[in-house]
Amino acid sequence: MSTFIASIGYGLVASAVLALAAVGFTLQFAVTNVLNLAYGAVMIASAYLTYLVNSAGVNIWIAVVVAVATGSVLSVLLNRFVYTPFQRRGTSPIALVIVALGMTLIIEFVTQAIAGPTNVSYVMSQGATVGFGSFQLTVAQYVVLAISVVAMLGMHLLMTLTRLGKAMRATSANRNLARNCGIRTDRVITATWLITGGLCGLAGAVFAINSGSFGATSTDLFLVLLLAAVFVGGPGEAYGAMLGALVIGLATEVSASVIQPDYKTVVAALILLGMLAVRPTGIMGARA
Amino acid sequence: MALSGTLVTGLTAGSVAGASSHPRAGGGTLTIADVAPFTGVDAALGPIYLVACTAATTAINKAGGVDGNKLACKSVDTRGDPADAVPAVRQLYASTSNLALVIGLTSDEAASVVPIINANKTVMFAMTGQSEFDHIKFPYFYRLVPPDLAEAYADVAIAKYTLHVKRVALAFGNDIGSQAFVQPAIQALKKAGLQLVANETLDLNATTFRTEANKIVAAKPQAIFTEALGAADATFLSEVQQENHGKMIPVIGTSATISPDWFKSVAAAVGARTLASNFVADNLVTLTSGPAYNAFASAMYAVKGKVGNTGNFSTYLSSPGGVHLYDGINLAALAMVESKSTVPSVYRADIQKIGNGVPGAVTVSSFAQGVAALKAGKKIRYVGPGGPTSFDAYHDSPGIFQVDRYSAKGAVLVAGNLTTTQLRSVTP
Repeated sequence: MSTFIASIGYGLVASAVLALAAVGFTLQFAVTNVLNLAYGAVMIASAYLTYLVNSAGVNIWIAVVVAVATGSVLSVLLNRFVYTPFQRRGTSPIALVIVALGMTLIIEFVTQAIAGPTNVSYVMSQGATVGFGSFQLTVAQYVVLAISVVAMLGMHLLMTLTRLGKAMRATSANRNLARNCGIRTDRVITATWLITGGLCGLAGAVFAINSGSFGATSTDLFLVLLLAAVFVGGPGEAYGAMLGALVIGLATEVSASVIQPDYKTVVAALILLGMLAVRPTGIMGARA
Repeated sequence: MALSGTLVTGLTAGSVAGASSHPRAGGGTLTIADVAPFTGVDAALGPIYLVACTAATTAINKAGGVDGNKLACKSVDTRGDPADAVPAVRQLYASTSNLALVIGLTSDEAASVVPIINANKTVMFAMTGQSEFDHIKFPYFYRLVPPDLAEAYADVAIAKYTLHVKRVALAFGNDIGSQAFVQPAIQALKKAGLQLVANETLDLNATTFRTEANKIVAAKPQAIFTEALGAADATFLSEVQQENHGKMIPVIGTSATISPDWFKSVAAAVGARTLASNFVADNLVTLTSGPAYNAFASAMYAVKGKVGNTGNFSTYLSSPGGVHLYDGINLAALAMVESKSTVPSVYRADIQKIGNGVPGAVTVSSFAQGVAALKAGKKIRYVGPGGPTSFDAYHDSPGIFQVDRYSAKGAVLVAGNLTTTQLRSVTP
């Protein structure tokens, strides 16, 4: 029982990290029509640059800003110099997925070539363990939860209260119609890469903080969980991604305590397959 | 399943054998291939072997080379996966006409590529500890590291006689090489009268191990046996520390954890001082002084910073991959000189003679010394930094174990020795 309760805490932290990544990923997909499988690689590249700054003596919670900036810049560059040229040539969506996979390998192995094969850790304290009963988390984990909640709230406000958010939603719904209505969709798409890239970088740093140690290929399995969260919630649905992250994060950690840890990724995959079979549009997606 | 796997491997081996070509003598460059993971979760292993290879070949070339040939190292990335290793080795044979020796071969890929290399009649010095190589004859296969089950017994002996603990938990990676320790360790714990309180498998691709750490801490072990390379051990042990309210549970590692990369990543995650005071590992007894050690250290330090090494460089001098592959390359090179041939089917017979020694042989501790003795018409026995060799019928040379630990700066220190009586008492 104690392990079960503890696993709920770990599940919430895992959900928080997943939610940060999933919301950015799904918005990218919704607005730009690119299933950016290089997302995990950008996360880890951002985490590495943050590591360099942190190693130079900057507190990790301040250095996280570097991760946000790196994620934003890398994502905009990725779109400008890789995805957009392919899209202009009329490359099919499935071919773009292959391009994204290629970019994953390029970014990961360039990162590894520069940073070396050794895994690294941030210089930071996890802080005291705080909680009640078996529900115990470190202070750093509570901060991760708080960062995620604030970021989700910020995304909610952006999408509902700002002109940019409304333009993003319009572009996502129908790009041609949005353009005909006077929305400068190219700018909206660039802004989307910038914002979701920032979330991607933030997710990378938080992922590294939560993992304790990371290497250039550490997000490979995480990408599978990320896709599960996005498709369970409903591809292209920001609130669906938050919900999907909560479902997948809790399911993986709780199943690890109830069944055994070897099955936690299996459980995530089964939930994804079940959702695709019963409701392909995901929890928050429109009914087919 | 095992049968079909064997058949596939056999067919693959046969199909590649025809493409084999061996180096010719005189004036060229002979290649030593470091077939090991350079990417993937075990990416730290290949570069360690490359340091040993570069150090040994640099020293050999400085001493005039082998039979008029210089030696050069080539890295072949297996990604730690048989599916990548087989085509990588095929590519090696297709693109390398002067291949003289293969080194590396961890448990990740050995079972799939050793038959291919053997079919191509190339001598290999392997790092795998898999026990199948204890009783299957591959004429071109040589191993200077112990079988995994012997290491598992050594870890149990350390728990019983060095740490004096009663309750033990296992936390091994889900790769082939790490899992090979689990069953022998469980059997040896039973024989030793120690209690196994938890046994968790760590998915090397996972990003956290909170639940596994929670289960282990809840079982209240007095020591944790582990080998989970990549980021896994660093993450797992830091989570054990957090779950245990900041206090580390003593850890007993395998010899694979004696590696600068392992120290660097785990020390960064749990704290160097914490690791230094809570960690021991089994390792084969290696020399730490004397002419063989001095020649080895000199050769290794000559390549420091030149082949992408990381962490505390002195750790390479105790790392199994550093010590035993350096010895393997020297043994092979001296065998080439003694047999006056760089053809593996010719020179391999001399490896055993030079390693085990023959009556009247003089002991040499470096390639240069060996060549000088051979030129003087003497028989030689090579004893390198890994100590005396004793190849059996399967070309295994199991040694005796010592207990190593780290200093807070990552230097490897000898914490004690295991006696044969202690080892025998825990061997099932």
